Amino acid sequence: MSAAAAGSEEALGQIVTELSPLLWQVARAAGLATGDAEDVLQTVWLRLLSHWDSIRSPSSLTAWLVITTKREAWRVRAAGRRQLPVDQDQFTVLPDEGPGLEEQAIIDDQRRMLWAAIDRLDRRCQELLRIIAFAPRPDYAAVAARLGMRPGSVGPTRGRCLAKLRALLASGPEVSPA
Amino acid sequence: MKPSDAGDWPADGPLDETDLQILADIRDLFQDADPMPPDLPERIRFSLALRDLEVEVARLAAEDREMLAVRGPEQTRTITFDSDSLTIMIRIDQNRDGTARVDGWLAPPQRREIELKTAGGALDTASDERGRFAFASVPPGTAQLVVRPAEQGASGSGRSVVTPALIL
Repeated sequence: MSAAAAGSEEALGQIVTELSPLLWQVARAAGLATGDAEDVLQTVWLRLLSHWDSIRSPSSLTAWLVITTKREAWRVRAAGRRQLPVDQDQFTVLPDEGPGLEEQAIIDDQRRMLWAAIDRLDRRCQELLRIIAFAPRPDYAAVAARLGMRPGSVGPTRGRCLAKLRALLASGPEVSPA
Repeated sequence: MKPSDAGDWPADGPLDETDLQILADIRDLFQDADPMPPDLPERIRFSLALRDLEVEVARLAAEDREMLAVRGPEQTRTITFDSDSLTIMIRIDQNRDGTARVDGWLAPPQRREIELKTAGGALDTASDERGRFAFASVPPGTAQLVVRPAEQGASGSGRSVVTPALIL
């Protein structure tokens, strides 16, 4: 990280490769269209070049990138530059069911149950777990804290969202009232 | 039936292997359902390869594509970038030979050195007193504008203004 801060392109390139998939999920969970998410990721990484001074550790780097991506995403959404089609719920955290998901045959029961369980969590938990799942493990706590979750939400403890998800998974598929 | 948080896996219990497995499964799920475009990290690395360590980022503010029926499938794109100190507007027209012409305007108007980074190397020009600049022939591919700091004594911020990388 210090090599990247000192201007090493190779070191910075490695961090970009490692953390961009995480930032992609942050931008998409914030409801951005794919083109906007690409723009936001570029903006965030460029902004990092002038923010090394405020970053003290790998965990704080990850947390800074996550919260900056989220803020840039809000900024783009507020500008309403490219609105998603009206028939899409702009606040959905779960991606649309693409062709891949329609091919039910290739999705085993376990995955379908996981998807259904995530779908029943509140939006905040959906977003947190989607983001944390892509974060380096040592950075869970810093990222969760930066997202405004209570200290100890994910890492070192399980936290409310994972506890809820495990309970949902354990209770199995439920027949929801019509 | 209502699952309770305070069951066998309390929220204040330590993360265990099953929790980590669930997170790995969630990652796989979103990786498949909403994958990052595979070429994005490369574009980002391209845009970060700058000799300027302190930069002012110009965000993409608007992009319009206009189909020019007369010229068939060729498109003119107009893109606006905003930074704290500068607005950069560019118009991209396709040349017949596959290259692109880029015409730009800086607001407020001012003379600045301007670089267009491309995969094939950097192109250099300067804006005139009206803030206008042009690159007549830009190879297709990834490109990024860098507006160098104003001359000393001017009111410039002393930092280069950079745009995200575009595909021309």
